[in-house]
Amino acid sequence: MADDALLARRTDADVQAVFLSLSATLTGYSRFRLLGTGQVEPYLVTTRSAVGDDVFGELLSAFAAVERESADDPAACDRALRALVLSDEKLGPIARNLIKMWFVGTWYELPQEWRDRFAAGEQLATHVVSPASYTEGLLWPTIGANPPGAKGQGFGSWVGPPNIETS
Amino acid sequence: MSVEIDHATAVSTLYDVLVVGSGVSGAIVARSLAERGLHVLVVEAGPGEELSLADYDTYLTRFYGAVAKDNNSAYEVNPNAPMPRSPDVRRLQAGHPDSTGYLIQNGPYEMDSTYTRVLGGTTMHWEGKAMRMLPEDFEMRSRFGQGRDWPIGYDDLEPHYRQAERELGVSADVADQTFYGITFPPGYEFPMHGLPPSYLDTIIARDLDGTVIQLEDTACTVSVRPTAQARNGMPNPAYDGGKGYVPVGAVSTHQVDQGDRCQGNINCVPLCPVQAKYNARKTLSIGLRTGRIDILTQTIASRVHVGEDGQISHIDYQAYGSTSSPDHVTGSLRATKYVLAANPVENARLLLASGLPGSSGLVGRNLMDHAYLLTWATLPEIAGTMRGSQCTSGIEDFRSGGFRSRHAAMRVSIHNDGWSWPTGSPYTDLLELVDDGNVYGETLRRRVVDRISRQLMLSFMIELTPEPSNRITVDGRYTDALGNLRPVLSYSLPEYTMDAVSASRRVSRRLFQRLGAEDQTKYDPLDPGFVAHQGEGYVIRGGNHWSGTHIMGSSSRDSVVDDHQRSWDHENLYLVGSGSMPSIGTSNTTLTLAALSFRTADHIASELTTRPSLTVGA
Repeated sequence: MADDALLARRTDADVQAVFLSLSATLTGYSRFRLLGTGQVEPYLVTTRSAVGDDVFGELLSAFAAVERESADDPAACDRALRALVLSDEKLGPIARNLIKMWFVGTWYELPQEWRDRFAAGEQLATHVVSPASYTEGLLWPTIGANPPGAKGQGFGSWVGPPNIETS
Repeated sequence: MSVEIDHATAVSTLYDVLVVGSGVSGAIVARSLAERGLHVLVVEAGPGEELSLADYDTYLTRFYGAVAKDNNSAYEVNPNAPMPRSPDVRRLQAGHPDSTGYLIQNGPYEMDSTYTRVLGGTTMHWEGKAMRMLPEDFEMRSRFGQGRDWPIGYDDLEPHYRQAERELGVSADVADQTFYGITFPPGYEFPMHGLPPSYLDTIIARDLDGTVIQLEDTACTVSVRPTAQARNGMPNPAYDGGKGYVPVGAVSTHQVDQGDRCQGNINCVPLCPVQAKYNARKTLSIGLRTGRIDILTQTIASRVHVGEDGQISHIDYQAYGSTSSPDHVTGSLRATKYVLAANPVENARLLLASGLPGSSGLVGRNLMDHAYLLTWATLPEIAGTMRGSQCTSGIEDFRSGGFRSRHAAMRVSIHNDGWSWPTGSPYTDLLELVDDGNVYGETLRRRVVDRISRQLMLSFMIELTPEPSNRITVDGRYTDALGNLRPVLSYSLPEYTMDAVSASRRVSRRLFQRLGAEDQTKYDPLDPGFVAHQGEGYVIRGGNHWSGTHIMGSSSRDSVVDDHQRSWDHENLYLVGSGSMPSIGTSNTTLTLAALSFRTADHIASELTTRPSLTVGA
């Protein structure tokens, strides 16, 4: 099997590198930015435990295939990601969950349809991965704001237009 | 700072005053009386082990980790002293009370208002708007033929409003707050300058100021005004005749770098992370310096006893050691005067559970809250929504005028937190974009900005007049973990309020038209609070401004307390808080109930300090 034993063959560092690359593509934030949140490891662990080693390996292998096929061509990458991951009945919901987790720190329970067809063990319920995951959500910097209840921007910061990063 | 005493000591002490509840009204009464030499015991049903930053931070961490970030999500579930939580509210089926949450919803309308049972009470989660009522709000019956008049007026309360503004640390500028009859003494300044309006406010004001809207025979000219807030800002050196004002920082036994100016955490509710916002622990911690306040937390006042002379003889308590176990001990507490400051629902619940419905039968009746109609739209430009405190400005121009003889008044808040209240934004927006929008990466980032940073939400806070049928009762079928009777709510909205709901929707359409904003307002018939009126459906949300359940009046026949909030039936019993208010107008209730608390403290002090045996002064 081509997808196979990616987890078995590769080192933890390899796995983390592919996971990080997938996360960067899905969120639109750079790998450095994602590493800076301190959430790569907790999100990797959460995803892996939610879907099991086999499916997690399939996800990373599929993304590795996307990267191989598209060879740095953004349009090709987009097409391949949609074809191999986002529209895949097994992998798509996990990828979408990853985006949500990066943006607001919450792991959402996978859809019922997914659970019926693909779940191996007990399902992870909707939960905030950790208090820090909440405060590190990417949604807030995306809109030039702070997570409610944390990282206040300072007295009077709300007077001017928001500082929205574009890259 | 020694806070807790043991129950054995409290039981063997005859206090001057026993205060039930440690929220803003109880804290003000306690501090005020202790500073005049009286010995005060405060009992709080909820937890709050110590007045420390560590305790406070526990709430913050719980909030960060909560999936549903509702307005009580920072506070632990406590079956021994439960509190209403808005996610518990369900759409009712006619004739079927819902007991899902602590508050039994008896209908016909659902109400999602809450309060908080921890040390410091609901000021822990309040938003911090600190507005005076209009003078005309005190004269609803005589001026508009609606509701009730107060036995006192704005001028009677004005000096106490100033005390309340000092205690709560209000940031506002007199010029912004002088409208529709509100007056201040010459030269008055608020403790701190007004908080700066948000960028969103500026955009709204630019296009709305000067818009004329007709309400019945009243022409209302819109002016976006900054809102008075109990939140630390820039101290005003001209305050108090040039003495200035020192903001009250975070409650802690150690010096901490918190409690300074508002940082714009957009999270006043359910918890200000930096204690820029007032909470009653600030008042309690200062009061404790007198050495004359004892506090017992996790101590539930379970029954009020009346002696043969009609006076309160003692109050039974239940003290529990852990929120996860119903194990508890019981005893009785005694004082010369008793103050119930447990909030309008709990005050009424305790009296009714004690078999004390009042000689007028009005305990628990005339329950009021503000009815909130939320309307929301997308602005044509990026407005930087989701920054600042939750609201920095509003529209005061639908609060006053002759139209109030026809329908209720309304006050509009501009919400810096966008559609979060009506739709669950920004979470729901994110889920839709990801799950249905099929966007990811940089496209997702652009769409998130487009969707969230242009959000405008206007909340219309609509007056409700006292109706005896809106009430809290108790029912032996419904008890909590310690066997205490739970509150049962019967609630509906009169035509007077519903006509203002319709008017509010019309006004919001006009305002959105003027702004070129795309109206996104939708009311789901399956949502709790859905009500049809004159052919259109609305979802009415609660305002957490419970009031009226021990209504104030000038006669024992038609009211529960007198103008000092003293029970007509029991001379040594005071029922304090917004439960005493005969009208709520269109002001958030906290500043007014704080002013009333100061007035009542003066009265209790004058009663007690005339006793020759008492030592007065520190």
